[in-house]
Amino acid sequence: VIAFAALVRKELASLFGAPTAYVTLVMVALVTALIFFDHLRLYNQILFVYASTNMGGFESDTIPDYVNLWDSVFFPVMETLGLTLVGAVPLLTMRVFAEERSRGTDELLLSTRLTPGQIVLAKFAVTFAFVTLMMTVAFVYPAAAIERGGLGVQHLAAVYLGLTLHGIGLASIGLACSAFTSSQLVAAVSGWAVAFVLWDFGWIQPFVSERVAGALDAISLHPRYGSFSEGIVALEDVVYFAGLALVGMAVSRFSFDVRRVGG
Amino acid sequence: MRELALAGCIAAAFGIGSFYATDHFGAFSAVNLAAGAAAIAAALAIGARRLRFTGGPHSRPAIARGLLVIAAALAAAILLERAASRAQIRFDWTFERSYELAPSLTALLDELPGLSLDLFHDPLDPRVRRTRLLLEEMARGRGIALAVHDFDHVPEALEEYGVSASNSVLLRVGERFQVVERPTQGSLYEALYRLASVQAGVVAFLRGEGEGDPELTSDLGYGGLASALTSEGYELRALVTLATPDIPEDVDVLIAIAPSRGLQPEALGALRRFLERGGGLVALIEPGVTSGLEELLAGWGLVSPNLVLVDPAHGEGLDGEPAGVCPLAYLYEEHPATHGLDRGRMTFFCGVRPFELRKPDVSDSLRAIVQSSPRAWLSDDLGLLERRGGAPEPAGAREDYHAIAVTGRYLRDGVETRIFAVGDADFASNRYLRAVYNLDLIMNGVHWTAEREAQVAIRPKIRDTVQFPLPVENSLQLLYGVGLLVPELLLIAGGVVWLRRRRA
Repeated sequence: VIAFAALVRKELASLFGAPTAYVTLVMVALVTALIFFDHLRLYNQILFVYASTNMGGFESDTIPDYVNLWDSVFFPVMETLGLTLVGAVPLLTMRVFAEERSRGTDELLLSTRLTPGQIVLAKFAVTFAFVTLMMTVAFVYPAAAIERGGLGVQHLAAVYLGLTLHGIGLASIGLACSAFTSSQLVAAVSGWAVAFVLWDFGWIQPFVSERVAGALDAISLHPRYGSFSEGIVALEDVVYFAGLALVGMAVSRFSFDVRRVGG
Repeated sequence: MRELALAGCIAAAFGIGSFYATDHFGAFSAVNLAAGAAAIAAALAIGARRLRFTGGPHSRPAIARGLLVIAAALAAAILLERAASRAQIRFDWTFERSYELAPSLTALLDELPGLSLDLFHDPLDPRVRRTRLLLEEMARGRGIALAVHDFDHVPEALEEYGVSASNSVLLRVGERFQVVERPTQGSLYEALYRLASVQAGVVAFLRGEGEGDPELTSDLGYGGLASALTSEGYELRALVTLATPDIPEDVDVLIAIAPSRGLQPEALGALRRFLERGGGLVALIEPGVTSGLEELLAGWGLVSPNLVLVDPAHGEGLDGEPAGVCPLAYLYEEHPATHGLDRGRMTFFCGVRPFELRKPDVSDSLRAIVQSSPRAWLSDDLGLLERRGGAPEPAGAREDYHAIAVTGRYLRDGVETRIFAVGDADFASNRYLRAVYNLDLIMNGVHWTAEREAQVAIRPKIRDTVQFPLPVENSLQLLYGVGLLVPELLLIAGGVVWLRRRRA
């Protein structure tokens, strides 16, 4: 336990000792804040055009039902944030294993009393904690602003949970990619590619049978995350992201075996 | 190997990315995807080959063990996900519990065997996900077939069922079908009701003496009420009192919406005979009007003095009416017409005349089913309804509960007569019908009058979208305070860390 705690402390120090973590945090928070504000401004403008005297005012029923605070502002921003994470999280995870590998410090880690499984667990735990922090920083502004529109704290909690789980799923993919290379660039690019492919299989649906389309839909990230943003917390979606983390850990753990026997 | 994998990943990403960007799967996307997949497969093959040669035979058990752990993790993840999916445990965290089905809707779904649901959508329509979740909830555990169709891929179906907009739902039972263009629990409930073809009886609207118009769809009309009655299985008719010496035998319920002129003695006679033979009457009356209907109701013990009810517990009306003349009622007596209504399910009235109950016969059952707050008082100044500003309580005014809606049930000579009367007609107008629980009160009142208590229900609400502006000024303060300041501080911290590391 002491060795495990020491590794967690070392990982935290290493994470917050590098500017990459701060840049990723700032990038996600800033993109979210600016996009949200821009959507809000545009929504207000559209609303005032529809509600202008020429169009009959607010009570004239001339405003289309899709022009509303959720569909025009909050949900598009959450969609963008979900996609932004696909770009940002691999930047965060690329160095976790690859840097150790390129410097040869992974050999040192293995010489401690820690098993490869514990090393993987510590690195995953620290990264997940950072993702949670990142989501909190990014989510506070839109959530505080939209709460005045009456979305409800519980619904916002569901969106936050979905975003965090989505970030954790992406981090698991990124960490598994990082575990198989000593190049941070390769880790980031492969993380992006896998996450991007898994994001949504909607594009493939016209070319495959309904059964295959259903199976591909079940492994896609976007529909899982989408339910949370609608305020639905389904056990199957939570289990999906937990499963992604579990498989990510198993794959990362396997990289130690490969390293040991393959060099 | 790495170069190949890198190139493959980039090609695959561009292939899918170009599809998302253009919404078109063209040659660029196809070639990139194929090349990317081939490169990744080749890289994996080379990697596996290298692994075999560098590791040697002694490494095989370790590799096999590792692969086995991955396979076990994958299998556990899939099994758990499938089990969770089968358990269908989900929580609705929306503010209005939008995905928790109203009991009236679930009862209807259970009554319609062989129901199928088809959702037609444009892939870029953001509303579809919400509709899909609602339909999944409706189909869950009921064996209802649910299919989702891309708008562009099923032109024949669109033509056949007359679907013209994205996010439309087709409800089918055998040959019968209904199309709902703005699917919400409320609109789907009404469509299902039409599909169930419930024959509820004949409702006639009195016409010809300035009554509310059930064909008018503007705010002042009662088209919404007529439409809701049709949805719930009633056949509607208009009865011009002057041209109808007697109410037809097959009419079950007569609705009189605030006649503004006096009813002719012949019409009142026809109404009396109709009630005496066991007909049902729904009477909505307004303060300041004497049409003869008030006198008829008084004959049945439902006395309504020509006064205005002022309930200071409530503020100004929506259009700046004086405080108190538009009460929000929350006090209900236990009765089929108010079943399900409580302090949290209020009804809204505007310009109310009160009722007093005076039993004509001991066997009669008269009930004040909706009441004002105990702070209400009565005024004979009908100008209050027009005047802007407050309605000052005169000295000596008696504050008390006052009846807003009443019912009467009369058993005479083996014939049962039912009357449901409300001291306001506006509450059922198009303007206020969907406000709070007004629709439920009037519909349940009609069902009770028609002796169809089984149809009494609290209807699912049509979700109101938030279509008011969120002031940018307020949001701007939050943007500076949280949206920009926090990233700024983080960036400064990151910069300091970077400089210190460089120095070290």
